[in-house]
Amino acid sequence: MNTILNINGISKSYGKVKALNNLSLKINKGEIYGILGPNGSGKTTTLGIILNVLNSDSGSFEWYGEPPSKYSRKKIGSLLETPNFYPYLSARQNLSIVCKIKEVSEKEVDRVLSTVGLINRANSKFETYSLGMKQRLAIASVLMGDPEVLVLDEPTNGLDPLGISEIRTIILDLATEGKTIIMASHILDEVEKTCSHVAVLKMGNLLTFGPIQTVLNNQEQLFVSSDNLDLLKLTLSQIDGISGINQVSNKVYLMLAEGKTSAYLNKALFDKGIIVSEIGVHKSNLESNFLELIK
Amino acid sequence: MLNLLHIEYKKLIPYSTFWMIFGLFFFFTPIVFYGAGQIKIEGFPIDFTTMYNFPNIWNNITYIASWFNLLMGMLIVILVCNEFSFKTCRQHIIDGHSKADFIVSKILLMTSFALICTVYLFITGSLFGFISGGNGSFTAQINYLLVYFIQALGYMSVGLIIAVLIRSSALSIIMFLFSILAETIIRTLVPDFIGQYFPMKIISNLTPVPTPEGMITEQMRNTIMQEEMWLNTTLLIAIIYILAFWRVAYFILTKKDIK
Ligand SMILES: Nc1ncnc2c1ncn2[C@@H]1O[C@H](COP(=O)(O)OP(=O)(O)OP(=O)(O)O)[C@@H](O)[C@H]1O
Ligand SMILES: [Mg+2]
Repeated sequence: MNTILNINGISKSYGKVKALNNLSLKINKGEIYGILGPNGSGKTTTLGIILNVLNSDSGSFEWYGEPPSKYSRKKIGSLLETPNFYPYLSARQNLSIVCKIKEVSEKEVDRVLSTVGLINRANSKFETYSLGMKQRLAIASVLMGDPEVLVLDEPTNGLDPLGISEIRTIILDLATEGKTIIMASHILDEVEKTCSHVAVLKMGNLLTFGPIQTVLNNQEQLFVSSDNLDLLKLTLSQIDGISGINQVSNKVYLMLAEGKTSAYLNKALFDKGIIVSEIGVHKSNLESNFLELIK
Repeated sequence: MLNLLHIEYKKLIPYSTFWMIFGLFFFFTPIVFYGAGQIKIEGFPIDFTTMYNFPNIWNNITYIASWFNLLMGMLIVILVCNEFSFKTCRQHIIDGHSKADFIVSKILLMTSFALICTVYLFITGSLFGFISGGNGSFTAQINYLLVYFIQALGYMSVGLIIAVLIRSSALSIIMFLFSILAETIIRTLVPDFIGQYFPMKIISNLTPVPTPEGMITEQMRNTIMQEEMWLNTTLLIAIIYILAFWRVAYFILTKKDIK
């Protein structure tokens, strides 16, 4: 059984707001599936429905090829929108409750607290935690029982740069162990750095989906500058493996074919007698593609 | 099932509000009961301390304790609303409980509360009874404890349904108290033979106002007999209401999104 999650045409409205419109998606074992979309596009709504806390108006979904049940949810580690814990209980007491619900060993508590770096604060009350610590505790709760499937809604929300990279490492480690991860995010960079597949949502509609390379044509855009911009452009057009030449103010933007680097570009220009005053990576083309998609 | 109850107590033991409300109950029930026996009315030759005697004590002490059942109802309102305001109801379902598990947990919790209160009344009542040294039957009216148990469960079940429906603590407590008031008002507008079957009326009737021993005349014995028979009917109706409340609470929970 390779299909982990199968969503068949789910829709949901809040009054006049159509939060999800006939969404269908299939997620296979081992995929790191990013659900990408701007604020209010329906990411949390989707995850809330597949975790049985929101009721859909129509459509259905299956986990492991079976109708949803509490037994399938026990085997999924989920973080939906916010860390939800009893404020007056310590981190350890809170996780011990999760242990009982998930029916996993109490030993898991200390293991997951160490993984997210909260073991020293395990006995502090949840209400005394900082925003980032709360988020870390929510991640810890997700890791409880070492689940095969993880559902993460904005997992790096509120974390400092170190925290973000730590969580990213945790996710990538889990990915190499063959776990399936479904991750909602509005941060393109996050999806780009962690996901193998992506589905792009906008106003409840699925715009596109598939392997990340295919969907977002992951190519870097470079820029170069020199004294004579017209000559630069003319010369660039004569070099192999360059496309998308485009001048904005005093810079010329372009894309290089697969396997070519900025060093190649620099040398090719130098060979044709052009001295480059500036050269660099502009921004990933992913972002412009994404912005183009959701326009 | 026991696992569900175990989880509930893991949340409760460190929760101070829980201890405060039970503390109030444990502390004030015997005090108020003792105080009631000390009442003396000028020119009225009744010895209220006979209320400590078996078997009347069971009617008397459950009547006094029933005043605190509103408190138990409010405790349930607070505990259930907490699950929504902390979003832990949502989290429990995400983590692997069903919505039925949520309701069953609360039913077990309410039952355990009612049981604790009833056992406490049994102990307190026995102590008062033995100390006062009357020689009436210990068991003759002990069924009042069962009736009290159902009443406590009844008030808490009303709390549960209101909390599941409204979800905000402050508003739910207001609605909980208001629903009692509102029912009283509505009852005045409908004929008595309908009004007597209203849920709050049925539940509050479970602990009837006791008649002091010295005041009972021969002709009153008859009505008291009738009242006791009526109590059995009331008990049955109350149980039906309670089961219906649980079912409706579950229905509300499944129909609404859990935010
Ligand atoms: N409880 C609610 N009542 C009314 N409308 C809601 C509710 N929850 C969500 N919505 C609406 O549904 C749409 C989708 O919301 P959703 O939370 O799924 O977005 P999202 O993609 O998770 O956004 P974000 O990136 O901000 O988390 C939005 O238009 C939102 O206003
Ligand atoms: Mg969201």
